[in-house]
Amino acid sequence: MVTMSEPLLGPGRGRCADPGRGESGGRARAFAYHRPATLAEAFERFAAQPGSQFLAGGTDLLVRLRDGRLRPEALVSLSRVKELTAVEVGPQIRIGAMARFGELLGHRALCEALPALAEAMRTLGSTQIRNLATLGGNLCNASPCADSAPPLLVHEARVRILSAHGARELPLEDFFVAPGQTRLAPGELLAELVVDRPSPATRSGFAKKGRVRMDIAIASIAVSLELDGARCKKARVAAGSLGPRPMRLKGAEAALEGRLIDAEALKDARAAAEKDVAPITDVRSTEAYRRHMAGALLARTVTRLLEGRSR
Amino acid sequence: MSALAFVVNGGRVELEVAPGARLVDVLRGPLGLVGTKEACGNGECGACTVLLDGKPVNSCLVLALDVEGREVTTIEGLGGGEGRLSAVQEAFVERGGVQCGFCSPGMIMSATALLRERPAPTDEEIEAALVGNLCRCTGYKQIVESVKVAGAKLRAAKEARHG
Repeated sequence: MVTMSEPLLGPGRGRCADPGRGESGGRARAFAYHRPATLAEAFERFAAQPGSQFLAGGTDLLVRLRDGRLRPEALVSLSRVKELTAVEVGPQIRIGAMARFGELLGHRALCEALPALAEAMRTLGSTQIRNLATLGGNLCNASPCADSAPPLLVHEARVRILSAHGARELPLEDFFVAPGQTRLAPGELLAELVVDRPSPATRSGFAKKGRVRMDIAIASIAVSLELDGARCKKARVAAGSLGPRPMRLKGAEAALEGRLIDAEALKDARAAAEKDVAPITDVRSTEAYRRHMAGALLARTVTRLLEGRSR
Repeated sequence: MSALAFVVNGGRVELEVAPGARLVDVLRGPLGLVGTKEACGNGECGACTVLLDGKPVNSCLVLALDVEGREVTTIEGLGGGEGRLSAVQEAFVERGGVQCGFCSPGMIMSATALLRERPAPTDEEIEAALVGNLCRCTGYKQIVESVKVAGAKLRAAKEARHG
């Protein structure tokens, strides 16, 4: 039954939406839906029904729901839980897991403090996706291609995990286990990302290669360099789409750290990156091309950071 | 079935929806607002773009129950009623930004949102903003042109009001 306070602009009534048998052909089956207002309520709702699933931005989850790959007993939407959207930028940076990428891009202090993350967010998905997708959801979906992961890895982020029983923190580096799998236990949720504000001498950036402009990355690289002139005091390098998890490239870091970054250093870093990564051949690209791009994107990004260019 | 109440194109609606219903299902189904199209169903093509609290989103990726209490604007809500077109819609018509028309509602919603945020976008900014709206017909040139012309129209109208 539809009631309206004003006539709608449109040609008239249509069929009743029932996606289980609708024209979309989706195979979704009925489930309970809850939209708690607080974290405490969210945990209660989750615990009340085995087979519950938390819903963040929905950009990954709704696709899986529609084609039947995900069949939850209940969906607990986090879209009303304000506690999960807070963003703080100070000597410590805290980003709530339900913060949407579109909102984060408008947060000037955050983007200035974490340039690699800002660059990654700018090309993540599309405008429409960024207005829905959340930082927490991107990480918990645990795709090896997650664009927000390499920048957060070079910023040495920690994840704060909450459950009905308490809280724990671990380095983001330890959070990913395998494609689609994180260290979250059932009933836990990723609540917050915590980053120590990079020093003023730090420059960071992100580069991604896709087949077309809106695409899942074939290869992505994030770099953070603490510089003293052209001498690198500290280097952090991370890669996406180049292994089963977003990963730090420690060989590349060692090739850059404590060194004057000249052509020789870049050459060594490129070679180290190509060895560090474990790419595969799939529908989007080949192992050989990805391996090559790991080195190329690293060299390009390091050069750009040294020259102080934003692109 | 659960109760859902939200505002669409300035009018409040109340209806019963299945939990798995997406916003696009509710718009095109019981609300009969078939201007919003569904093509890919997974957030890649942008044909289903609507404004949610003023921001462009893929309505195929929004669970209907999540829009409780919020505001949705569809292509039907842009013009002034009685067949009047918005400046963006007019520009698309004038500049050949519409061929088969299937991408057009979504494209126009994205363009409308862009121009509200950035009244004088460069070509590059237009292309970046519309990267989530695919068009098979135009090759995008006329679409970018339409957005620039729309921007000029809107700026001129604003000058005329404040000048």
